[in-house]
Amino acid sequence: MTTTLDTPAVVAARPRASWAAVFALARFEARRLLLRMPVLVAFAVYLAWIVWRTRDSFGGFPALQDADRATQGGPLLVGLAVLLSANHAVLRSGRYGTDRHFAVLVLQPWRRTVAHLLSVVPVTLLATVCVAGQFTWEALKPGAVGHGSPAELLVGPLSVLLLGAFGVLLARLLAAPLAAPLLIVFLLLFSVFTSGFGGQGWSRWLMPVVGEGSSHTLPSDLLGRPAAWHALYLAGLALSAALLAVLLSGGARLRTVQAGVAGAVALTLVGAVGQSRDVPQETSEARTRVSVAPEKVQHCDERDGTTYCAFPEWTPRTGDWAEVVDGVRSLAGPGAQDRPLVVRQRVDARYGLDSDPLLAPSARPGEVTVGTAWGGNRIPEFATAVAGVLVTGKEEAVSGICDGRMVTVMWLALADLPDPMAGLRSVRLDDSDTGSAIVVSQTEPLRMSAAHTELVRELLQRPRNETAAQVRSNWAELTAPDVTTDRVAQMLGLDVPEPDEEEDECL
Amino acid sequence: MPVSAGPVSAVLVRPLARTLPWRMIAAAGTLGLLLAATPRLAGEGANAWLAVTSLRASAVAFALGAAFLLDDPARNTTAAVPTRRVVRHGLRLALMAPVAALWWTGALLLVPRELRPPAAGITVEAAAVLVLALTGAAFAIHRGDGARPGQAVAGFLLASAVLGPLLSPGSWALFVTPDDPRWAAAHDRWALLLCAVLAAGALCAAEPVRRFRLRRLMSPSGTSDPSRA
Repeated sequence: MTTTLDTPAVVAARPRASWAAVFALARFEARRLLLRMPVLVAFAVYLAWIVWRTRDSFGGFPALQDADRATQGGPLLVGLAVLLSANHAVLRSGRYGTDRHFAVLVLQPWRRTVAHLLSVVPVTLLATVCVAGQFTWEALKPGAVGHGSPAELLVGPLSVLLLGAFGVLLARLLAAPLAAPLLIVFLLLFSVFTSGFGGQGWSRWLMPVVGEGSSHTLPSDLLGRPAAWHALYLAGLALSAALLAVLLSGGARLRTVQAGVAGAVALTLVGAVGQSRDVPQETSEARTRVSVAPEKVQHCDERDGTTYCAFPEWTPRTGDWAEVVDGVRSLAGPGAQDRPLVVRQRVDARYGLDSDPLLAPSARPGEVTVGTAWGGNRIPEFATAVAGVLVTGKEEAVSGICDGRMVTVMWLALADLPDPMAGLRSVRLDDSDTGSAIVVSQTEPLRMSAAHTELVRELLQRPRNETAAQVRSNWAELTAPDVTTDRVAQMLGLDVPEPDEEEDECL
Repeated sequence: MPVSAGPVSAVLVRPLARTLPWRMIAAAGTLGLLLAATPRLAGEGANAWLAVTSLRASAVAFALGAAFLLDDPARNTTAAVPTRRVVRHGLRLALMAPVAALWWTGALLLVPRELRPPAAGITVEAAAVLVLALTGAAFAIHRGDGARPGQAVAGFLLASAVLGPLLSPGSWALFVTPDDPRWAAAHDRWALLLCAVLAAGALCAAEPVRRFRLRRLMSPSGTSDPSRA
């Protein structure tokens, strides 16, 4: 405010100097806005959230088409703080009773509003830097694949801009200091309400940040999210709010402002209409094609007797899969060690991001399914699938087994992992390492009885090479269908587990 | 010397009632009732979680209005009157308390009976939030010079309401639903919090014996101290 006082009134008669005053006021207000307590706290929490979350997000193997959406929630907190602070900044003169002094200053009220609106821009830029930093961090992780969308990345900063402009507009509509806090409480409950009982179809896209019900990863061209239209809608909405605030504070007589409001509203409507259309025909066709016949779009690569077929965006991940496959193979018995395997990446994209459908096990002999996610639990899950195919020959046959082969499958899968016991716990649905449990998988789940679990645990605690030799020499019998658990225990030199009536069967 | 509180405070009631920020409280209360009515408006889609969340939001909305209760544009002149600050604050509180009680009863009744969380528990939560707002205002007056701390207190309360559920340790379980087995233990903690905030509020309601300020410690001459109106 003091800065504007420096501008001599004589100079102010010329429009150019008056714009200089607008920028001077905007600079002053921007500095104050950045140093307001709510904004500082929001940025501190936001930065802490970025660091805490991005350190181990996506198991260290992010798909960038998911990582871009993950940047959208955090800036909302900053946006709410900016709404509150920008609103208070506009009301400051009313609070201190200095409104009447403005009559002698060079700036008309609408130019003051413009300055307040401009003061939101630096905060928005700071939020943009944070979003870019978070996304770059994900993209620089060695396991990153896929493509991010600039439009999805813009949603966070545009939300900050929108909320800031809305704060200024609110102050011009209602000169009450309570309006902004009450509006925020209302917005929070409203967003909780709509996310829980959300509108389907077009109405859910009216919110600034639109989440998805499913957490599974699709190739980036199959997402079917109207991200660019939504960014246009948000930009239009922010511009409408800003120009409406100028209009309300005495800019109504200006042709430019009138035309601007009309243009911004039109932009918003274009965005809203664009984003509310259904998934385009070609995207749904591509989704079906990728789900039903993935081999048509995949790129295959052969390494050490295993063919790895991945969607184009996932080809860099072949090396990670090969590491697991080679580890499992090295422990398998004769015949299985050099059996040709096909590791095929599959995804059910037909329902888009609305649901998490379970994949059917592959019916082709020697074919192992790998999903689009990796890292964390996905690694032992994939190892189990590879071991299952090596033992039974076909993925379809793995889910039904409840005999002694389960012990071999689980030992093969886990023995070569860095921490086999942690792997055992993480593939089991209840994270246990005793008793019977369901073993999660990309396709059909497997079942372990209490006896299987006990044997696998004992095997994993013994030296690996000793067990590997026993497995190799008894391979034919260990992998024979209907081999009993007791027989497997005998062959591997373990005590026969005591039968427990309640838990003897698989779950 | 402070005079006896009785007759003076009776004289004070009428002017105080006029200066209370009734419009703020009315606006906050109206929005609070609207928020509390969300489960009823949602109809079929409502569940116990939505009911308890909307009641919490409603309590925060009302407390935001109540944060302005101690705002007094004439504070710099009333500071010199012989009536103690405790009495002045207490009178304001006494004037608002029935309104708050009535409003909260209304908010509770707006939630459909089958979805309504246990009244005692949720009332303790609402009381804690309201008392936090009033203590914040009392603290701001106790420590600062501002005549109208309401806006800052509302900002603080809002930040607490947004960040509390995000940052409070999960083991405290302050924000649970009624079907959670930790509901009772959580409300023991809420009651504890309420008592602590009440005690702090009571301490802040009194006039400070002397102003303890870091700046004054650094500059005994007081030249760097901002001049007070």
